[in-house]
Amino acid sequence: MRTPGSFSDRLTATGTANALELRGLSRSFGALVALEDVSLTLRPGERRAVLGSNGAGKTTLFNCITGDHAPSAGSIRFFGEDITGFPTHERIRRGLRRTYQISLLFTDLSVRDNVYIACRGVLRSRFSALRPGRNETVMASTEALVRLVHLETVIDTRVSELAYGEQRQLELAMALAGAPRLLLLDEPAAGLSPTERGELVEILAALPDHLGFVIIEHDMDVALRVAGFVTMLHNGRIFREGTPSEIENDPDVQALYLGGPDG
Amino acid sequence: MASIADTAAAPSWYARIPLAWWITGLVLLFMPAFAGEFVLYQIFGWTFILGMIALSLMFLAGYGGMVSLAQMSIAGFAGYMVAIFGDSAITDISQGWPWYVTIPLALVLAVLFATVTGWLAVRTEGIYTIMITLAIASAFFYFTRQNYTIFNGFSGFNGVLPPQLFGVDWRHPVAFYYLTLFWAAFWFLATLYVSRAPMGLALQGVRDNPRRMAALGYNVTAHRVAAYAVAALPAGIGGILLTWQSAQISPGTAGIGPAIDILVIAVIGGLRHPAGAFIGAFVYVILKTFALDILVVLGFDGERFNLLVGLGFLAVVFWSSDGILGLWSRWRTSWGRDRLRFPGRRTP
Amino acid sequence: MIALVERHPWRAAVVTVAVAILLFLIFAIWPAWLVGLIGRKKVFLNALFNGITLGGLYFLVASGFTLIFGLMRNVNLAHGSLYLLGGYIGYGVAEWTGYWLFAFPVAFIVVGAIGILMQVVVFRKMEGEELRQTLVTIGLSIVLADLLLWGFGGDFFNIAAPSWLSGPMETFFVTGVKRSTGDLIFLKYPLVRIVIFAASVVVGVAMWLMLNRTRVGMLIRAGVDDRDMLSATGARIQLVFAGVFALGAGLAGIAGVVGGTFQSIAPGEDIRFLLASLVVVIVGGMGSITGAALGALIIGIAEQFGSVYFPTYAVVLTFLIMVLVLAFRPRGLLGQA
Repeated sequence: MRTPGSFSDRLTATGTANALELRGLSRSFGALVALEDVSLTLRPGERRAVLGSNGAGKTTLFNCITGDHAPSAGSIRFFGEDITGFPTHERIRRGLRRTYQISLLFTDLSVRDNVYIACRGVLRSRFSALRPGRNETVMASTEALVRLVHLETVIDTRVSELAYGEQRQLELAMALAGAPRLLLLDEPAAGLSPTERGELVEILAALPDHLGFVIIEHDMDVALRVAGFVTMLHNGRIFREGTPSEIENDPDVQALYLGGPDG
Repeated sequence: MASIADTAAAPSWYARIPLAWWITGLVLLFMPAFAGEFVLYQIFGWTFILGMIALSLMFLAGYGGMVSLAQMSIAGFAGYMVAIFGDSAITDISQGWPWYVTIPLALVLAVLFATVTGWLAVRTEGIYTIMITLAIASAFFYFTRQNYTIFNGFSGFNGVLPPQLFGVDWRHPVAFYYLTLFWAAFWFLATLYVSRAPMGLALQGVRDNPRRMAALGYNVTAHRVAAYAVAALPAGIGGILLTWQSAQISPGTAGIGPAIDILVIAVIGGLRHPAGAFIGAFVYVILKTFALDILVVLGFDGERFNLLVGLGFLAVVFWSSDGILGLWSRWRTSWGRDRLRFPGRRTP
Repeated sequence: MIALVERHPWRAAVVTVAVAILLFLIFAIWPAWLVGLIGRKKVFLNALFNGITLGGLYFLVASGFTLIFGLMRNVNLAHGSLYLLGGYIGYGVAEWTGYWLFAFPVAFIVVGAIGILMQVVVFRKMEGEELRQTLVTIGLSIVLADLLLWGFGGDFFNIAAPSWLSGPMETFFVTGVKRSTGDLIFLKYPLVRIVIFAASVVVGVAMWLMLNRTRVGMLIRAGVDDRDMLSATGARIQLVFAGVFALGAGLAGIAGVVGGTFQSIAPGEDIRFLLASLVVVIVGGMGSITGAALGALIIGIAEQFGSVYFPTYAVVLTFLIMVLVLAFRPRGLLGQA
């Protein structure tokens, strides 16, 4: 038995360890193999795009990394620490964050409250029965995050009244709460207008350098503009890895993906 | 759900309280000046007590989405603990410890009991909760009825009296009225307050979207169990006051009927706001007290009280999923006046 | 079987030993030290058989409950009231016509029709609102209980079994040896209980066959596993729902007649059998017929053994089993994880 978060774990977690290290990760649902023997390494601060058609296993990959699904085989190391058996909240408290493809926001709450809950989640005081004061630090960081994703004008609006694009921005703000060390972005640009996509790319590019992310994206344009390295999944396996230009010019990838019917 | 922005942008706290609350508060405060002893002790004392127990259910169900039928058992458990460790007519069992030991001890044990209940109940989700807590409530009922060494079996304990604190006889109608009013008001305000504090906000988040909350770093299971533990406090205090009011506690106090009554009370009042618990309790107590007269006037047998309650409950559930509070706010909206500011629905 | 032994050698060994001990207790002539330890064999066998037959009754009640819950996510807390109603109807019919057997179809049809009525008039209007449906069933149970109390009063009613079923039947189970002659003494057991237990086994097998071998059964099982699938098949889903509700309620009605013959019918029995169904279904696994059978057997036997060997805590024992199951298998012994 390993105790999650013991001192020695933290010690090895800093320094030169990889941000994320997947070894032989597999996951099947009954007879359906959604993910097969995926190994992947991410250096701290690295920005990686994961491409692949529908059903290639991209979202399953994220679900395994965050702990929504237990992998059938393989291990996951996060900054050197083996988190394979950890419950979701323990992984989050170590600095892992994700956004969701289908929005899982609290639609009855305001933008401020959504971000506030996200900021509280990784604090010890998340059980507090005392209300926050006006100049509490969590409040300040909440407002800072809202500004970061350009939502300050709608900060007290209920989420259900937000435009779709604004909801996606809020999703991003919630993933940035606390002290994130790695983001998993699940199709953040889906359903956005070209202008909104531009804004998103801007926000992502402006993230601090040490903060790496993995981005699932259908829009090659967005993916290739923000990521320095690309992993291509096909039928649950890693199909190709390389720089954006290598991937773009790979004949197999073009045959499989870029030349496909939905281009 | 209310907003934490309410706190951040508050102009002056008293200006935001609707006039209706002020009037209600003042009327309750000066009630003994014009109400008789029966009204103070039987109607309002009982209303406040049942309201507190229903409030603990409202906290779990309204904010946490966990409909627990075990809250009456937790109340009864606290009542039993006071009888067992304090004074009662059953001197063989009662320990006779002073009140400043027994009451905190009873509450601590009630919280423990609720934590175990919660831990069992949250292992499954949604509608399963209601089944499991009902089963736990009946287990408690049967256990207290069968166990004679600790719970004194079928007859339970009588002669359980409040301490003579500050030289006041707390079972005197006026004193008892203020005692129950104080605790009811305290837990009402505390629930309102906590609903907008991190604990309450997170609980509502867990209700709406447990997966998301886990992905924000919240331990969903721990949070749910913690909610059960917190909700044990108003229920426990309600249970102790209930025991003092009738000076006795027996298995029937926390039987299956009373457990369902608490749910009926909370639902009739409305699960979305703490006020619902007390409104429901008031309606229930009035019905229970005067149903016989009403039924006789209507030409029915006075024993058909349960029929009346059942039909009334069905009507409320059928017409409004938000109980009387829901009907009230709908009525106000349709008249185009200012709406009550219910947390959870219509905050700006 | 062999594969199972290979996979869990320890578990298999424990089960084998337990079965061997049980077979010994049932078939062997008990030595004196064993009688001294746990009492006479007749008491043991009676408790065992009473437990098994009570389990049969519990199964009849709980199978309808679990079927309705599994398919519609409707916790029908009025299920005990349907049981009680079935008992009163059965009593009335048996008294009036003089035919005990006639009570079963009438109770099934009348209570089943009430089930359809509940589904069509009430629950169809609040589909997907689980909590509201449950609250409605609580209201219905309060109203029904009071109406029945109004109509039949607080007396106990006992449905008399016909003469050809009354009296004990000699079984082939040995309880002891006559000291004077050396003859074996065989256990005598009420015939009506044996017949009713056999009938509940038949009902159980029929339900299993219906669920596993017919098209409607496949539909129902598909709906229990995945509710979206049901609408995707294009089945007339409302018809299936109403049918399942009728079946579940009708079974409760039949169980009422059985319960009235076994024991008696009186106010309060509704709550007792509602709780029994709850515990059976929680222990066995929610929405599973096989689970209901297993749970009913466990709870029935535990209750009877409890009342013989630790009478003070008999009822508590069943809840203790429930708590243990919840702690280690929250979805029940045969429930899907």
